[in-house]
Amino acid sequence: MSTVEYYGVIPTSDEESEESNDSYSQLVWQRFSRSKAAIVGGLMIVMLIMLAVFPEFFSPYNLYATALGDSYTPPTQIRFFDLDGNFSLRPFVYKQELEIDPVTYQARPKIDPDNRYNVQFFVRSWEYKLFGLIKTDLHLFGLDTDEVRLHLLGTDRFGRDLWGRICLAGRVSLSLSILAAVIAIVIGSSVGVISGYYGGAIDNAIQRLVEVVMSFPELPLWMALAAVIPTTWSGEQKFLVMAFIFPFLRWAVLAREVRGKVLSLRETDFILAAKEQGASDFRIIFKHLYPNVLSHVIVILTLMIPDIILAEAFLSFLGIGINEPLTSWGFLMKSAQSLETLGQNTWILTPVIFIVVAVLGLNFLGDGLRDAADPYSNL
Amino acid sequence: MAETAAEIGKRDIILKVKDLKMHFPLRQGLLQRRVGTIKAVDGLSFELGEQEVMGLVGESGCGKTTVGRTLLRLYDPTGGEVLYQRADGSWVDVAKISRREMKDLRMEMRMIFQDPFSSLNPRLSVRDIIAEPLVIHGAASGGQITARVAELMEAVGLKPAYMGRYPHEFSGGQRQRIGVARTLALNPRLIVADEPVSALDVSVQAQVLNLLQTLKDDLRLTFIFISHDLSVVEHICDRIAVMYVGKLVELAPTDELLRNPKHPYTEALVSAVPPADPLIKMERIILEGDVPSPANPPAGCVFHPRCRYAQDICREQTPPLVQVGPEHSARCHFADELELQGVADAYPP
Repeated sequence: MSTVEYYGVIPTSDEESEESNDSYSQLVWQRFSRSKAAIVGGLMIVMLIMLAVFPEFFSPYNLYATALGDSYTPPTQIRFFDLDGNFSLRPFVYKQELEIDPVTYQARPKIDPDNRYNVQFFVRSWEYKLFGLIKTDLHLFGLDTDEVRLHLLGTDRFGRDLWGRICLAGRVSLSLSILAAVIAIVIGSSVGVISGYYGGAIDNAIQRLVEVVMSFPELPLWMALAAVIPTTWSGEQKFLVMAFIFPFLRWAVLAREVRGKVLSLRETDFILAAKEQGASDFRIIFKHLYPNVLSHVIVILTLMIPDIILAEAFLSFLGIGINEPLTSWGFLMKSAQSLETLGQNTWILTPVIFIVVAVLGLNFLGDGLRDAADPYSNL
Repeated sequence: MAETAAEIGKRDIILKVKDLKMHFPLRQGLLQRRVGTIKAVDGLSFELGEQEVMGLVGESGCGKTTVGRTLLRLYDPTGGEVLYQRADGSWVDVAKISRREMKDLRMEMRMIFQDPFSSLNPRLSVRDIIAEPLVIHGAASGGQITARVAELMEAVGLKPAYMGRYPHEFSGGQRQRIGVARTLALNPRLIVADEPVSALDVSVQAQVLNLLQTLKDDLRLTFIFISHDLSVVEHICDRIAVMYVGKLVELAPTDELLRNPKHPYTEALVSAVPPADPLIKMERIILEGDVPSPANPPAGCVFHPRCRYAQDICREQTPPLVQVGPEHSARCHFADELELQGVADAYPP
C-alpha cells in the first residue's frame, strides 16, 4: 500500500491565473460595448432623457403660456443659404407671412427676404426653475426678436411650441413607464423568487394565480381602470394611479420567468452549499438567488418599458390617461384624432417619431444587455 | 499510512449511525399522488472514530451522496439515528434536532462539494465566498474576516492577493481549493467530502488529495470521503464502506478490503483498480446490466441479478450484514465460502 508523501509544504496552485481582475460589471460592460446596436440604443435613450429632464432649456418659448394667435403654426424653416444661394455658417430664419394662393385658395408661406434673423445660442429669455429650484432664464437657442418665432416642430392648438411640449411630454411618458416597469419588476421578481424557492403548495397557489392574471385581456382592463379615475383628481394623482395600473397585469409574466430561473438555481450546488453553511432563507434569497436573477430582471425591465410607453400613448391618445396640465406623447397627438385637423397640420404627429425612437432605443438596449448579462457563457 | 484493525477499534467514536433511512416519495400527476418510494438510503449503520477517514464508495446512484447530505441534515432522514459527539463531549441526534440547533452544529460538521464549478456563487468574490460561514455564524467581523480569509487561502495554497477575484477567473483545481478553504473557515471537526476530486483532471486530483491529507493531519480532522473511484480513496482512507442500492454491502479497513474482499460486488470494484505495476495481470470483472432502480429493488439480495456467484437463496432471502473478520463485515450469504480475488498480488505487503 502506497502512502501519500507529506512534503511539509502544501503544493501551490496548478496554474497561476494572470487574467485581469475583472468584476462582473466590468465583464458585462466589455460585452455590451461590443454591440453597436446596443450602444446606439443607449445613446438614443440618453438623448431622450436629457430632453425630458431639461425641456425648458431646450425650448425657446414659454412651455406653459398659450399664444392663441400662433395656433397650429407650421414648423419654421431654418436656413443656411439665403435666397441668392449664399452660404452662411450661422443658421437663420426669414420672416414669413401667410398668403392665400389665388388659384387654390390654400394658405402659403411667403418669405420676406428683408427681415432675416440669425439663430442665437445660449440666449436668455423666459424664466423657469431648473428642477423646480434654481431660477434661470438660459435656453439652448432662440431668436433675439419678437417679429419672428422659431418653432422647430410648429405649434399645437394653443400656440405652444410643439418641440418644447414634446420634451416636456417625454418627462411624463418616460418616468411613468419606468416607474410602472419598476413596480412590475419588484412585485414580479419577489413573487417569482418566493414561488420558485419555496416550491410545493405555495408555488402551486402562486402559479394558478399567475395563470388567472395572465388570462385577463390587457387593454380593456387598462381602459376600464383608467376610465374610473375621477376627473377631479390632479394630474399628479392620475400619474400615480396610471403607474399602478400598468404593472397590475405585467408582474405575472415576470413572476413566471423569474420562478423558472430560481427553480434551476435552487438545485445548484452553491445554494446547497449556502444551506450547508447554515444560511437563513432570507440570506439565500437575497445574497445568492437575487444577484443571479438580477441580470435577467434588468433585461426584462428594459424590454418592458417600451411596452408601457406604447400602452400609455394609446390610452392618452384616447383621452383616458394623462390629461392637462400634464402632457404625454400620446396626449399630444390627441388632436390628431380629427382628420380635418390632421390633414391641415401634419406636424402634430411628430411625437410619433419620439415614441419610435424611445421604443427602438430601449429594445436595442435590452437586446444588448441580454447578450451581455451572462458574460461567462462563451468568453 | 492506513491503520490496522486493532488501532481502529481503539479510537474514540464521534459518529454513530444507526439504521439510517432516507426514502424519497415518488409523486406523479396533477394531484401529486404518491406512486412509489425511492429508497436512496435503506438501513445504513456504521461508526466513525475521531480523526478517522472513512471512504464511502459505490456506483453512481447507489445513494452515497444522499448519505453524505443526510448526515449533515441537508435532507431530513425518514428513519434511524445519527448520533454525533460534540467537541464538549455531549451526544446529539442529528436526525432529530431542530433547525436552530442544527445551525449551531454546522460549524463542526461541514461538507466539501463535488463540482467546483457549480458550488461557488459566480456573483461573489473569493473573499465573500470564503468569509460566508464566518459571517453567517458571526464568528468574525470587519478586519478579522479579511485576515482569516487570507490565512485560509494560504492554508490551501492560494495567494491571498487573489481575494478580490471572482470564481470564473480560477481553474478547476483552484476553485476546489476555494471550496476547501470555505469548509475549513470555522475549524470543523467532521468533514463530509462528496467526491471532492472527481470533477478534476487527474494531475490536479493528486494535488487536491495531498492537500486534504495534509490538512487532515495538521488540523486533526475526521473525514467521510465519498467517491466512486477506489483508487482515489485507497490512499487517504483508513476504512472503506462499499454501498450498493442504498445498502452497505461491505465495510473493512482499507488494506483488508482491497486484499481480501468478501462481497462479489467489492471484488468487481477492486478489479477495476489498475495495479501500480503494468506487468501484473489481473482479471477484470465486468458487471453485466445496470444498477437496479432504488424505487424497485430486486427481491432477495439486491446484487443477485449481476452476481456471477448467485444461487437460489440469493433470489429469495435478503442477506444480513455479518461479521467476517475483525472490523470486517459483508452482506453476502456466501461471504465465508467464496474465494474472491483482491489486489494481494499487486501490492506486496
